[in-house]
Amino acid sequence: MRYREDNELHLDFHGTTNTTLNYVGERFGVDALKSILRKTGRDVYRSIREKLAVGDASELLEHLNWFYYREKGRYALTVSEDRIVMEVFECPAIRQLKKLGLKPSEWVCLQTGEVNAGMCENTPWRTELELVGEGHCIQRFIRERQP
Amino acid sequence: MIPSDHFVRFYNEVFKFLDEHGGMEEFYREISRHQELHCLELFKAKGLRGMYEYWDHIRIEENCDMSLQLLPDRLTLTMHRCPSLSKAVDNDAGPCAKYCDHCPGWVIPLLEKAGYTCEYNLVDRMKPQCRMIIFPASANRPSRVFAEPLEISGKAPV
Repeated sequence: MRYREDNELHLDFHGTTNTTLNYVGERFGVDALKSILRKTGRDVYRSIREKLAVGDASELLEHLNWFYYREKGRYALTVSEDRIVMEVFECPAIRQLKKLGLKPSEWVCLQTGEVNAGMCENTPWRTELELVGEGHCIQRFIRERQP
Repeated sequence: MIPSDHFVRFYNEVFKFLDEHGGMEEFYREISRHQELHCLELFKAKGLRGMYEYWDHIRIEENCDMSLQLLPDRLTLTMHRCPSLSKAVDNDAGPCAKYCDHCPGWVIPLLEKAGYTCEYNLVDRMKPQCRMIIFPASANRPSRVFAEPLEISGKAPV
C-alpha cells in the first residue's frame, strides 16, 4: 500500500479537516469543495486508482480496512468480485468531532463520497455513498462489466 | 472519511486551490481561530511553560523529530524533521510550494493573542526543517517570518 502509517495517531486533524471543509464550502461553494476532494481522491490515491483501472482492488481494500481499523471505527467490509461494500456503523471522524465539541460540517460526508469517486475516476469502478444516520454510512464500489 | 493520517495531503490540495484562487491568509486566520480551542487558554495561563507542554504533546502525537528549549525569556522549537511537510512531499499529488507558510500563518496570530511574539525561520520550504523562537511581546521585537539556513539563524538569537 502506498501510504501505510502505523505510528502515533493525531485524531484532532479531523477537527482541522472540518474547519477546512467549512471554510472552502462557505467561501467558494460546494462545487469547489467537490473538485478539491475529487482531486485528492484521484491524485493523492493515484496508486489505488491505477490498480482499480487494471482490475486490482487489493490496495483499495487494504486502505479501507487499515485506516478504519486503525482509527477504531466500527465497520463491516464485504467483498465479492465486482462489489465492495463498506458499512461504517460509527465513523471515527464524526466521533472525534463530537469529542472535541465541534458540530460536524454539513459537508463532512462529502469528503467520503468525493474522495472515493476520485479514486474510481477513469476506472471500471463506480462508487455510491448511502447515508444511513449520523456517523453511519454504506460505501459501495461497483465494477461495471463491459457488455 | 479522509484518515487523520492523510489530512496533510488533503490540506496540501486545499493550499494549491487557495494559492490559485486567493484566500490563503484568511484561511490561516480561520485555522488559527480553530487552534485556539486547543491551546489559547493554556498559553495565556501558563505562558512559555504552557507552550512547551503543548508542543511537547504535539511532538509525540504528530511523530515529530523536534527539540524544545525552554528558557526564562524564550521558547525555542527546532524541527529537525517535520512530519507534515514530509507527508506533503511523500505524496503522489506533489507538494504545494507554499505548504510551510500555513504554520506561521496560524501560530503567530494565536501567540500574539496570548501576548507573545515569534521569530519563525522556515529554513527552506522544501526541507522538513524549521525553527521558531517565542518571546514575551515587546515593541522592539515584532513577529517575523523568514527563511535562512539553520546554521546561520541558530547562532544569532540564542
